[in-house]
Amino acid sequence: MNLINEASPHLHGRQSTQLIMGCVIVALLPTLVAATVLYGIDALVLTLTCVVTAIVCEQVCCMLMRRKSTVGDLSCIVTAILLAFTLPATCALWVAALGTAFAIVVVKMLFGGIGNNFANPAVAGRVFIMVALPSALSSYPDTVLKSVDAVSSATPLAMAASGDMPLSIMNLALGAHAGALGETCLVTLLAGYVFLLVMKVVDGWATLPFIATVGLIMGLSGQDAVFHLLAGGLALGAFFMATDYTTTPMTPQGKVIFGIGCGLITALVRIFAPAPEGVAFSILFMNLFVPLIDRYTRSQLVGGAKHDII
Amino acid sequence: MFTLHKTRGGVHPPQLKDMRDYACKFIDAPQRVRIPLNMHIGAPCHPVVKPGDHVYVGTLIGEGQGLYAPVHASISGTVVGTDEEKLPTGAMAQVVVIDSDGKMQPDPELKAPSYRTKDEFIDVVRASGTVGLGGAAFPTWFKMRAPEGKRFEYLVVNGMECEPYITSDFRQMMEHPDRVAGGVHRIAEALDIPAAVIGVEDNKPEAVERLRETIKANGWDDRVEVMSIPTKYPAGGEKVLIHAATGRDVPAGGLPVDAGCLVINVTTAARVEYFCQTGRPLVFKVMTIAGDCVKNPGNYLVPIGMSVRDIIESAGGLTEEPRKIIMGGPMMGRTLDDIDCPVIKANNAILLLSDSAVLPEETACIRCGRCVRACPLGLMPFALDAAGRRQDVVALDEHAVMNCMECGSCVYACPAHRRIVASIRGGKVLYRSETARLTQPKEA
Repeated sequence: MNLINEASPHLHGRQSTQLIMGCVIVALLPTLVAATVLYGIDALVLTLTCVVTAIVCEQVCCMLMRRKSTVGDLSCIVTAILLAFTLPATCALWVAALGTAFAIVVVKMLFGGIGNNFANPAVAGRVFIMVALPSALSSYPDTVLKSVDAVSSATPLAMAASGDMPLSIMNLALGAHAGALGETCLVTLLAGYVFLLVMKVVDGWATLPFIATVGLIMGLSGQDAVFHLLAGGLALGAFFMATDYTTTPMTPQGKVIFGIGCGLITALVRIFAPAPEGVAFSILFMNLFVPLIDRYTRSQLVGGAKHDII
Repeated sequence: MFTLHKTRGGVHPPQLKDMRDYACKFIDAPQRVRIPLNMHIGAPCHPVVKPGDHVYVGTLIGEGQGLYAPVHASISGTVVGTDEEKLPTGAMAQVVVIDSDGKMQPDPELKAPSYRTKDEFIDVVRASGTVGLGGAAFPTWFKMRAPEGKRFEYLVVNGMECEPYITSDFRQMMEHPDRVAGGVHRIAEALDIPAAVIGVEDNKPEAVERLRETIKANGWDDRVEVMSIPTKYPAGGEKVLIHAATGRDVPAGGLPVDAGCLVINVTTAARVEYFCQTGRPLVFKVMTIAGDCVKNPGNYLVPIGMSVRDIIESAGGLTEEPRKIIMGGPMMGRTLDDIDCPVIKANNAILLLSDSAVLPEETACIRCGRCVRACPLGLMPFALDAAGRRQDVVALDEHAVMNCMECGSCVYACPAHRRIVASIRGGKVLYRSETARLTQPKEA
C-alpha cells in the first residue's frame, strides 16, 4: 500500500487565501460599478490597467525569483483595484501602471511576496504617485452625471479647507461629487464591507476605532464631524485597508490601537497639514508600527505563565 | 453543582459521526495477537509468561514497576514468545505473541476484587490494567494518587468525544450507561471526591439523557451530574473541559490536580466499573472503524494486540485501497505506514481514507489571525510555526511552545493550510534538546 504518512491534523477547513481574496474582490465590485456610473468608462479602464499591470508584475517577479506563481491567490488583483480606487478617473494610465508596478514589485515582492510586505502595497503605491508625480493627482473630475464633459472640480475636503459650503449628506453618501474613483460612493463601500463582515473575512476591531477617532477629534476641534466621516478616503481606508491582514496587528487589542492611531493621524493631517487628505498617510505610518504593536498585544496564555521545563 | 463556563478558541470541523447508531459488535478473533508491553506512558512491563504457557482471556502476561499498567492476554491460547514491534505511536516495543486456541475462554481464576480503603481501591484499578482511554494512555491508578498536599475537589469525566468520526465513547454511554455512571460514582466515592461531572457534547443528547436517567434511577445524583457542553473542537481537551466544567485553568506546565481536578474518560470509568464487578481486566477495546474505503464501517470490540490488517479483514475488508490510515481521529490521530502493527489500549478508531484525504498544498502565511482566534490555549500559532521552521529556540521559548497540546485547531482554521503542528513538534524536539544542553552541568 502506498500510504501517506504525515503530521496531524488530517482534516483542514475549506477556506483558502484565494477564497478570501475572491471575497474581497466581490466586495469591491459594487463600488467599481458605482465609479463607472459616476466617472464614466475611464474609471473602469483605469482599474483594468492596474489589474493587468499587477498580474504581469507579480508573474514576472515570481519567475525571476524562481518561485511558484502566486498570481492565483488573487491578492495582486485586490491590491490593483484598491490602488485604482484611490486615483482620479482622469489619471494618466501610465501613471496608474507605474504606481501599481511600484506597489507589486517594490513593496510586495521585494519583501518576500504575499504575507511579508511591511506596508499595504495599494496605499504605498498611492503615496508613491503622490510624492513622485504630484501633478497626476492635482485635479479630480466631477461626476459625469452632472454635465456631459467631466469637469475637474474641488473635492469636498478641498472645498471645506477653502471655506466653501460642504455638500449635502445625501450627495456625500452616494458619491455624487468630485473625488478619487473608488472613495466617493459610501453606499457601495459599506455594502462591500458588510459583505466581508458577514463572510467573516474581516472584523471591526480596527475599522470602528479608526472612524470613531476621526469623528471624535474633528468634532472636538469644532468642525463638522459627520461631514468628515463621509468625505475623503476614510471609508475606503477604514473598511478595506485598515483590515488588510498582513499589514495590521494580529490581536483585537492590537487592531484597536492600530485603528486609533490611524484615526489620530488622519484627523491631525486634516486639521493641520496643508494636504486636505490624510487617510493614506495614516495607514502607511501605522503599518510601520505593526511589529511593535504585535509585540505588546499578544494573546493571553491560558494557564498563565509559559510552560517552563527547566 | 457545576455551571458551564465559556472556553477560548476552537473550531467546528464536520462531525462525520455516521457510525453513531451502529451497536458495538465483537470482531472475529484473530489467529494470533501480538500484545505490546508498553501501551502506557511510563516504564514498559516485563513478560511474566514463557513460550509454551497456556493463557486465558484476562491472564496476566506483563508486570512492571513504578509508573506502569499491567498487561493481560486478550485471547486464549498458547504463548509463542516475545518479539519487537513498531506500535501505532511510532515507538518500538516488546510484544508477547499468543496463538489462539479458538475458544476465547476467560480466565477461570478471575473474580470480582474487593477493597476497603482508598489505597486498596487504587491497587484494584492498577490490577485492572486501565490506562487513560481518551488517548493519553496514562496509567489511571497512578493519576488517582493525589500528590502530597494536593487533593481532588472535582472528578471531571470526559464524554465529549469531540474528534470527528469517532463514536466509541458514545456507544459506551449508550450501551452501558450503568457502567459509565456507576464507575464514576464508585471512583468518586472510593477516592472521596465530593463532586463529579460527566461532560458530554450537546451533539449527543441521547447520551446525556440516558446517563441522567441512570444516575437518577440508582440514586447516584448525590455526587454525580451530567453537563451538556456546546459542541466545539477541542472541547474534550483536558484543560478545555476542566475550564468548561469548573471555570478553573490548569497552570501552564501543571497537571489537572493543580486545579483540584481528576480527569478520566467515560470509557476508562466504565472499564474500572466492569473490573470491579467481574474482575475482567482491560483486554478489549471499542474502536470505530470508518472512512470511505471500509466496506462495513461500525463500532467493533477488538482484542488488544490484534493487527490492523486482521481487523480490516475481520471487519469485512475494503472497497478500495486507502491512501491514508489514521489511528484515532482526523484531528490528532497518527498516520500508519505499516498495517501489520498491533492495536493498543489507547486506540479508539481506525480511519481508512481514500484520495479524499490528500490535503491542500501549503501557501504563505498571510497573517490573517485565524490561528490565534482558533487556539484554545491562547498561543500565537503563526509565530510558533515561523519559529519552528527557522529553528529559533528563543522565539519558541517566548511563545511558550511547550504549552501547545497539538490539537490542530490552528491548522484547521488556516487558509494557507500551513502545517503548524508539524513545525511545533519539530520546535518542541529542538526546545527540549536545547534546554537539556543548557542545563547540563559543565564538564570540569
